[in-house]
Amino acid sequence: MNEDRLRAIASGMGYPRTPDIAGLVAARLHPSTRPRFSSRRLAWSLTISLILVSSFMLIPPVRAAILEFIQIGVVRIFPPEPAVQPITTATPEAFAPVTAASPSRTSKLIPILDRMAGEITLTDAQNKVAYPILLPAYPSDLGQPDYVYVQDMDANVLILVWLDPHQMDSVLMSLHFIPNESWAVRKIEPTVIEETTVNDKRAIWTTGPYPLVYSNGSIQFERMIAGHVLIWADSDLTYRLETDMSLEEAVKIAESLEPFP
Amino acid sequence: MYFLQIPSPERHGLDEPTLVRHAANGDAAAWEPLVREHQEAVFRLSYLLLGDPDDAEDVAQETFLRAWKHLKRFDPTRPLRPWLLSIASNLASNRRRSAGRYFAALTRAFRGEPIPATIEEKSSQQVQANELWKAVQTLNAHDQQIIYLRFFLDLSVTETAEVLQIAEGTVKSRSSRAIEKLRKIIRQDFPVLLEGLEA
Repeated sequence: MNEDRLRAIASGMGYPRTPDIAGLVAARLHPSTRPRFSSRRLAWSLTISLILVSSFMLIPPVRAAILEFIQIGVVRIFPPEPAVQPITTATPEAFAPVTAASPSRTSKLIPILDRMAGEITLTDAQNKVAYPILLPAYPSDLGQPDYVYVQDMDANVLILVWLDPHQMDSVLMSLHFIPNESWAVRKIEPTVIEETTVNDKRAIWTTGPYPLVYSNGSIQFERMIAGHVLIWADSDLTYRLETDMSLEEAVKIAESLEPFP
Repeated sequence: MYFLQIPSPERHGLDEPTLVRHAANGDAAAWEPLVREHQEAVFRLSYLLLGDPDDAEDVAQETFLRAWKHLKRFDPTRPLRPWLLSIASNLASNRRRSAGRYFAALTRAFRGEPIPATIEEKSSQQVQANELWKAVQTLNAHDQQIIYLRFFLDLSVTETAEVLQIAEGTVKSRSSRAIEKLRKIIRQDFPVLLEGLEA
């Protein structure tokens, strides 16, 4: 075997362009490397607000593309890119637009639930994850989730799913607990991005439909989100609340989270 | 603007050991040029091991975050790159195993799929390299690691030994065995690569 020849062939390997890892790492180190003064948070919020305003209102589309992403917690939100196409490996059902006005609203999500890995009981989930599981106290009749998943992605991501009690083949909402060190969720083409707060902490409200890509190591799991997503971060966790309720209702739910007994 | 700041080692004017010492003391600004210096090697090794650019990006990020967290344990007089590649290699292996538990059947279904479209096969050299990559992917994880480090990333025997935390002699013997296995696979399934490899 000629090692030089082997090395010569290997040198022709075509790699994808190396992403800006340094920028992404710096963004994730920021919360732990700087004092957590409220003035810092305020400055950060103002900076993000300024970027949002300048990107979506003042800067022409071509220049707006320079803004790579907006990051809150570990969730990266990419501004609209007309050229982006839905991932082709998903089933057609998974990409059907699902809105509150559509009669087929969430029933199409059930097959996706069936394909999700890591289903577990709530009690076992609490023993498995390293953070306290919080459940919404609002609406008062919500109860415990119908489906619980823990997915091992370097750290454990928890996904809680509530079915619509009036239509048990439909999903009412889902709540994701995403440890900062473990997870990357990419949303593409959100139609609206709005700043809000959850317990006085900065949050982002987005509306679909848009594809959501879960990276899990070997394959990509894609789906079409129904309704809206509220994203906020607290300590070492990022929370995602998916629902077709209004922003006010979503914030109420987010602010009602209490530890699971 | 925050998103467009690109610090470079030159701008800092500090050598790697000094930057490592600063970073180990919590100076994130010293860590950033080091990340930038080594991000390509870490990303490429992750990509070779995982075969997916998004996963490679995740692992590369996690590599630098873990290294940052454990920098105080790192001897700044040693080169940083082998240590980073060692972390990346472990993370990629864990990720592959973790995903395998859940999606083994699906992964099997995807075997033999073409290389992701992000790679443009611009030349016959690239076609050959991609064929070689496919051949290497049929080896076991240990053999893959050593082939990627020695021949794709062109690391020296010494650096490879540091990454894999084995003796240099072991690198040589493992490398020989991996190449031997690779040669058999190429003879059987990748005849296009035979030219020049049989010498």
